[in-house]
Amino acid sequence: MATVTAPAEGRTSSAGAHLSRKKRLFFPFFLPAVTLYVLFLLVPTVATVVLGFTSWSGAGDTPRFTGLDNYGELIASDAFRYSFLNTVLYIVAGGVGTFLLAFLFTMVLREMRGGKVVRAVLFFPNIVAPVALGMFFGIILVYRPNRQGLANYLLESVGIDAVKFLAPENITWVVTGCLIWASSGFYITILMAAVDRIPPYLYEDSDIAGATPWQKFRHVTLPLTWDVVGVAGVLWTISAIKIFELVFVLAGPGTYSPPIRSWTLGVYVFDRSFGDQGAPQYGMACAAAVVMILLVSVLVVLLRRLMRRDTIQY
Amino acid sequence: MTSTVDERLGGPVRKPPRKPKPAPTARGFSPLRALGMAVVWLFTALNVLVLYWLVMAAFKSPIEIFTKPFALPSYWIERGQAFRNLAYAWNNAGFGRAFVITVVLVAVSSVAIVLLAAPAAYALTRLGVRGANGLTNFVAIGMGIPFQTVVIPLFIGMAELDLTNNLFGLFLIYVALSLPFTVFLLTGFFRSLPDELEEAAAIDGASPARTFFTIMLPLARGGLITALILNAIGLWNETLLSIVFLNENANFTLARALFAFNSAASYQSEYGGLVAGVAIVVLPMLVLYVLLARRIITGLTLGAGK
Repeated sequence: MATVTAPAEGRTSSAGAHLSRKKRLFFPFFLPAVTLYVLFLLVPTVATVVLGFTSWSGAGDTPRFTGLDNYGELIASDAFRYSFLNTVLYIVAGGVGTFLLAFLFTMVLREMRGGKVVRAVLFFPNIVAPVALGMFFGIILVYRPNRQGLANYLLESVGIDAVKFLAPENITWVVTGCLIWASSGFYITILMAAVDRIPPYLYEDSDIAGATPWQKFRHVTLPLTWDVVGVAGVLWTISAIKIFELVFVLAGPGTYSPPIRSWTLGVYVFDRSFGDQGAPQYGMACAAAVVMILLVSVLVVLLRRLMRRDTIQY
Repeated sequence: MTSTVDERLGGPVRKPPRKPKPAPTARGFSPLRALGMAVVWLFTALNVLVLYWLVMAAFKSPIEIFTKPFALPSYWIERGQAFRNLAYAWNNAGFGRAFVITVVLVAVSSVAIVLLAAPAAYALTRLGVRGANGLTNFVAIGMGIPFQTVVIPLFIGMAELDLTNNLFGLFLIYVALSLPFTVFLLTGFFRSLPDELEEAAAIDGASPARTFFTIMLPLARGGLITALILNAIGLWNETLLSIVFLNENANFTLARALFAFNSAASYQSEYGGLVAGVAIVVLPMLVLYVLLARRIITGLTLGAGK
């Protein structure tokens, strides 16, 4: 009854009490997750940065501080140069290819029957393990006269000479192609979700004005999906920097590292730490891992800069 | 004729007062559009073809795989051993054991991830704590850290604790490394819930903890299930960590077993078994995808939308 006689007072104090009780819940709720996050992700990242300045071959050896020696050695090594350039190539060429394809699809899918089915089919490779994709492509692309994989079988059946897809000199482009094939569905879906939010009357108006598909894309679709394209670009970058299994399985014999011409930074780190050849070089592997973080940070910041503009309200 | 145009452009909702004549170029032949249509259908057909090839090849002999890629399998079926490849992968290459391990590990890890991430996401969005946005970003940064950068110190640390080549150790790592994505995903779901129900519960005298467990969690059920499924998919396919942390056949997960089987199978020309192994990894995902495609697609693309 007290609350009825003094409603205002009672309510504010109980509301205040409730709020503070709510805030007391924060740490028990938040701490377990953030503790694991810090212990298993942030601390190891810092440790990697520190180990990057040391020379260490793992168990039985103690890390020796060597300053920037690892980085000098990295720059001088062929394996690292290939790894770095290939990684950049996959991010840039794979990214441009994926986004061009995705844009082309948004132009067509918007006014196409069965678009939903097409999207669902194209999305599927995204939930297949990259190892499985790699092996699968390995069997499809294999070059062996008289017993060709599916790709060369098709080429030969239309009278074109078979291609050694998996030879070291071709492998980078083949992986780029596989990458575009496997990931375009994801970006098509993201971009289409953004395109579906564009009010249809804008397209009606441009139809009436006689706009070509290219003009509609250039002056309606692109400006109105620009922000989503930016986010998708960031997602692409942080997923493409990790490419490892696909290359490892596709370019090499399987359990051992593939020829260095096909390496990515992910393969380099793995080969120098857990690969089966000789003593591990944890220091070098950590330095290469630091290069990965730097590369992804630089690219993401650059991309955000490039994509920045005023938001459009519609 | 005109009715189809209306339909295509969004139906009768916005009907112009007078039906405009279609502009000359809008209905005419556009090479760019034709090219686009061709590419889209070719690409889609290729995907379907590739899936067909995979399923069929799992039942073929190596010679059939390479010389008759599109034919229906016959060699093993004629010998009354239709499932010979699958049986080989399952029994001889250890996929049977790996399958059981993977199912248990993935299920337990996904549940643990959601149990830890849901309260954290709730705390970040609903408790009115200052600085919560900054903390959310702090957690979200974790999504951008490649696993290669943490794997060496993690391996050393886990070796100290005797948790390498140990499924419990891998479980811990899976849970911890999946948290940033899951917390980020769930903050989106919790943020979208209405305030009113929470206020009503408070007025009725429910404690904040009780409000969370009996009101908000059930409301966020859709989000929790999505998080569960996406984590299950991610961990089912996870390879790098399982390669680093598991080195005994008895502990292998499916992706790890496939990785180990790859070179052995190529040397013995055991392509039938290899394709069957790939199929054992891929087909459960296909079944899940056919059942839950919409939820998976929206869940995975959620972060990018807004």
